[in-house]
Amino acid sequence: MSDAVADCVFCKIVEGKIPALMVYEDERAVGFWDANPVAALHILVVPRKHIPTLNDVGPDDDILAHMGRVAVKIAEQFRVARSGYRVFVNVNRGGGQVVFHLHLHVISKTNPGKS
Amino acid sequence: MDNCVFCKIVDGTVPAEKLYEDDVVVAFRDARPAAPIHVLIVPRKHLPTFNDIPEGENLLEHMGLVARKIARELGVADSGYRFFINVNRGGGQVVFHLHAHVVAGNDVGTALIKVAVAVAVVWRKLVSLVRGGR
Repeated sequence: MSDAVADCVFCKIVEGKIPALMVYEDERAVGFWDANPVAALHILVVPRKHIPTLNDVGPDDDILAHMGRVAVKIAEQFRVARSGYRVFVNVNRGGGQVVFHLHLHVISKTNPGKS
Repeated sequence: MDNCVFCKIVDGTVPAEKLYEDDVVVAFRDARPAAPIHVLIVPRKHLPTFNDIPEGENLLEHMGLVARKIARELGVADSGYRFFINVNRGGGQVVFHLHAHVVAGNDVGTALIKVAVAVAVVWRKLVSLVRGGR
């Protein structure tokens, strides 16, 4: 990606330069296992485009709705859509954001069905 | 939905401290805040869960941008906030009318409590030192 940021770990995962356990990919976003999962299921949905935080989403990006649809697909893929899951975005340090490339967490306490 | 509390808040038959309203969503303070700032963003249309957003609707985009707007207005956009949706029982959903939480200020609250506890400990030590010295 031409807009990748040199020292961004998620840009590197998107480009395939750093390995990650991918569970979903399309032209706009990727989904992969969090390297340090906090739940039985913990997937990060990341836009291919480098957007630092939710505050930086542009009016034409139209990316959040897409990330949400990907989250539902992942929840269905791992069979937790009915039993229950959480989707969340941490924004900036005080919100718990650690990697400054927008990402949506999908977590579930219930055991994943299939990958 | 006749017995949905969020539908009643949306149509004004149940009171809530509303912070934002437009054609698509209503935002109001959570009646039982889990943090100093705890706002719920609710679509006017009754959709039970996040799974039920119709294909092709950009509702999450709108909810996210409203969350950001509220965070800016409450002065926490730069310091930080959390935007989350609980989906179904196992995800912690209690009211089955789709809603996004915007939460901030918890860390500040925790920090204040820590400072208060530290001050109390130092104060007690000072008091015991003064009393011991007499």
